[in-house]
Amino acid sequence: MGDFMGSDDEYYSDPDYSDPLENDEEDLQWSTSSVSSSKVITKESLLEAQREDLRRVMDLLKLSEQHARTLLIHHRWDVETVFAVLVEKGKEQLFGEAGVTVVECKSYASPKSSSMVTCDICMDDIPAREVTSMDCGHCFCNTCWTEHFIVKINEGQSRRIRCMAHKCTAICDEEVIRNLVSARDADMAERFERFLLESYIEDNKRVKWCPSVPHCGNAIRVEDDEFCEVECACGLQFCFSCSSEAHSPCSCLMWELWIKKCRDESETVNWITVNTKPCPKCHKPVEKNGGCNLVSCICGQAFCWLCGGATGRDHTWSSISGHSCGRYKEEREKQAERAKRDLYRYMHYHNRYKAHTDSFKLETKLKETIQERISVLESRDSTLKDFSWLTNGLYRLFRSRRVLSYSYPFAFYMFGDDLFKDEMTLEVREIKQNLFEDQQQQLEANVEKLSKFVEEQFDQYPDEKVMEIRMQVINLTVITDKLCKKMYECIENDLLGSLQLATHNIAPYKSKGVERASELPVLRTNCSDSYLQSSSSRSASGGTVELGLSSSGSPNFESGCPSRKRAKREALGAALFDLNLPAEVIDKS
Amino acid sequence: MVDFSRVQKELVECNRDKGISGVSITLHGDDLSHLSGTITGPVGTPYEGGTFQIDIRLPDGYPFEPPKMQFLTKVWHPNISSQNGAICLDILKDQWSPALTLKTALLSLQALLSAPEPDDPQDAVVAQQYLREYQTFVGTARYWTETFAKRTTMGTEEKVKRACTWLPSSSSLTQFYLLGRLEINMETKEKTHDILTLNY
Repeated sequence: MGDFMGSDDEYYSDPDYSDPLENDEEDLQWSTSSVSSSKVITKESLLEAQREDLRRVMDLLKLSEQHARTLLIHHRWDVETVFAVLVEKGKEQLFGEAGVTVVECKSYASPKSSSMVTCDICMDDIPAREVTSMDCGHCFCNTCWTEHFIVKINEGQSRRIRCMAHKCTAICDEEVIRNLVSARDADMAERFERFLLESYIEDNKRVKWCPSVPHCGNAIRVEDDEFCEVECACGLQFCFSCSSEAHSPCSCLMWELWIKKCRDESETVNWITVNTKPCPKCHKPVEKNGGCNLVSCICGQAFCWLCGGATGRDHTWSSISGHSCGRYKEEREKQAERAKRDLYRYMHYHNRYKAHTDSFKLETKLKETIQERISVLESRDSTLKDFSWLTNGLYRLFRSRRVLSYSYPFAFYMFGDDLFKDEMTLEVREIKQNLFEDQQQQLEANVEKLSKFVEEQFDQYPDEKVMEIRMQVINLTVITDKLCKKMYECIENDLLGSLQLATHNIAPYKSKGVERASELPVLRTNCSDSYLQSSSSRSASGGTVELGLSSSGSPNFESGCPSRKRAKREALGAALFDLNLPAEVIDKS
Repeated sequence: MVDFSRVQKELVECNRDKGISGVSITLHGDDLSHLSGTITGPVGTPYEGGTFQIDIRLPDGYPFEPPKMQFLTKVWHPNISSQNGAICLDILKDQWSPALTLKTALLSLQALLSAPEPDDPQDAVVAQQYLREYQTFVGTARYWTETFAKRTTMGTEEKVKRACTWLPSSSSLTQFYLLGRLEINMETKEKTHDILTLNY
C-alpha cells in the first residue's frame, strides 16, 4: 500500500497541493484540469456550434454559407470527407453530388418589370417581378415555389429541397426559401429554419441529443472518440455511443443485452418452465425434489412427473399403479440442468451488479452525512483543517462502485456463451476469467475498505484517530483508482484486445469521473477576449465570410483554435465541480 | 387544393395531339381530381394493339405532389401488379417534379411498357417469368393484351373463361398460379371496374 504514497500521485497524497492554474475551491481535485473536449449545444448555441465547420468549408472553397451548409448536410457534417472528396474527385463533382450550383455572376431574370413570363408549373403568365430563378437557372413563379417549399417542409425534407425542374438535382437557395415561405406562413418558415439548424445534430455522428427525459433540449458534441461517456449540462450522464446510461466497462452491446435480460427475467421464467410442472388440480408450479416420478402437490393431488397427468397414490419405485406413459427422461433432465446452471450464473452476476447499484443509490444520503460530520470537526478546535481527503475519498468510492457494478454484466458476457463462445476455447476463457476476477476481487475488497473508513463516525474520534483514518482513506483512494485503471487495461489488452471477430468498444476509464461537457458560449456582443482578434482576422482573410456576424464577436472555439488560451479560461470559469454524482446532488451543492 | 386551372390546361394540351402521342385523358364527371387516362400499347411489344385504361387521382398538393396512377386494364408486366394494377415507377414517387405533367407521366408509362425493369419489380411472379422464361412471358403478356386490352363484344364471363382455359406452354406451376389468380381477380374486378375495363 505504502508504495502508492509519494508516487506520481501527489495529487492525492498531499491534500494541500493545488494547481496554481486553478482556484481554491475545495473540490478542485475533481475539476477537469483542461477543458473537456465535449461540448453542450443548447438551442441558443446551435448556430454557433456549426459556424466553425461552415467557416472552414466556406474559406477553403470560397462559398456562401448556404452552399457550405448544403455540402456539409450532404456529407453529414464531416469536414474531412468534404475535403477528401474535393481532393479525390474535384470541385465539380463535389458540388454536383451535393446539389450545389455556383453561379459566376448572378443574373436574375429581371427584364422589364412589365413583361410577362410563363411559369411552367401553373402554366400561367406571370409578371416578371413575381418569378424567381434559382442558381441552377430554372425559373418559376413565386407562388409555385412557395407551394413546393411548403409541401417539402411538411414532408420533412427541409434539408434537401430540390429545384422543381425535372431531373434537376440542385438544392434550392435557403435564402429564397426563407423569404418566400415566411411571406406566406411565418410558422412554417420557423420550422424550416429549425430543421435546417438541427441537421447539425441529427445528421452528424459527432453530435447527439441528450437522452434526458423530459428532454432538456441540449445536444452534446464530442471531438474525437465517439465511444465515450459524457455528462450533459442537465446533469445526465450517458454513453455517447448508444445514448443509454453510462455503462463502462460494459460495451454497448453487452449493456443492451443485459438490460433486456434484467427486464424480462427470462432465466427465472425459463427455470420455472423447465423445472416445474403445473399441478393438474390447482395449477401451481410444482418442483420435484427427488424420489420417484409420483409427485404430490401441496394441495394433496398426486400426479405423474413424466406426463403431468393426475394419478392415484399407489406406486412402486418404478411405476405408478394404473398409470403408464412413455418417457424421454434423459433429454429433459439435461435441459433442466442447463437451465438451472444458466440461472444460477445469471443470479450470481446480477446480485453483485444489483448490490453495487443499490449502494450508489444511497450516495446522496451518504454525502450529506459526511458533510455534517465534517462541519462538526471543523467547529472543533483542532489541528485538522483540511478535509478534502474525505470528499475525495467519497467521490472515489462513488466512482469505483460504478465501475464495479458495471463490471459484473461485463463479466457475465465476457465469460458466458452469448457473445464469445466461438472466440475462445474453454481453457483460454478460464484463464482470462481468473485474471479478470482477481482484479475485480482486489478492487472490490479495497472499495469495501474505503467504504468502511469513509463511513466511520470520525466526528466523535480524537484527532489522532482521525489522522489515522485520513491516512487510510488517502491510501485507499489512490489504490482503488489504480485498480480501476488496471482493470480497464486488463479488459482492453488481455480480454477484448485478443478477440478476432467481435469488436467491443469500451468508453475509457477516467479517474475524475464522466467528463462533463462544457458549454459553448453563446454569441455575445462584447467579448473581451484576445482570442477574438485571431477569429476576426481569420474571417477577414476568407472572402465569403459574413463579416457582420463574426466581427460582432463570435469566437471560433474548437479545432481551429491554435492556442490553449481559450481552454484555460474555460477551465477557470466553467463548472469545476466535476463529480460523478446524480443531478440532484449537483444542484444542491 | 389541387390547382384546377393547371389541370384544365393540361387536359386541353394533352388531348390536342392524342392521335400522335397515343395518350389521352378524359374526365370522370365533374370531379377534376379524378381522371382517367388512356395509353395505346407500344408497337413491337406484346402490348401492341391494346388500349390501356389508367385511373388517375390527383392529391390536394398536385402538382407539387405526384398524381396517383393505377392500371384499370389488366396488364402482364414486371412493374405493374397483375392483381391490382399498381405501378412501380420512380417519377410517380420520389422522382416526381412539379414540372412534369399528366401527359408526361402517361408517356412514361407507355415507355415503361416497352422497357420493363424486372430488377425493380412490382410483381415478383411476372418479373421472375420475364427473367427466366422470357418466351412464356411474351406469350402471357400478349394473351392478356388480347383478352383485356382490346375492344371486343365479349362479356366479362366469357373473357374470364377464355383466360382460365388458356394455359401457357411451359411451367405447370406458373399455369396453376395463373389460374388461381385470375379467378380471384375476376371476381373483385367485376365488382369495381368491369364497366371501365371490360365492357366497351
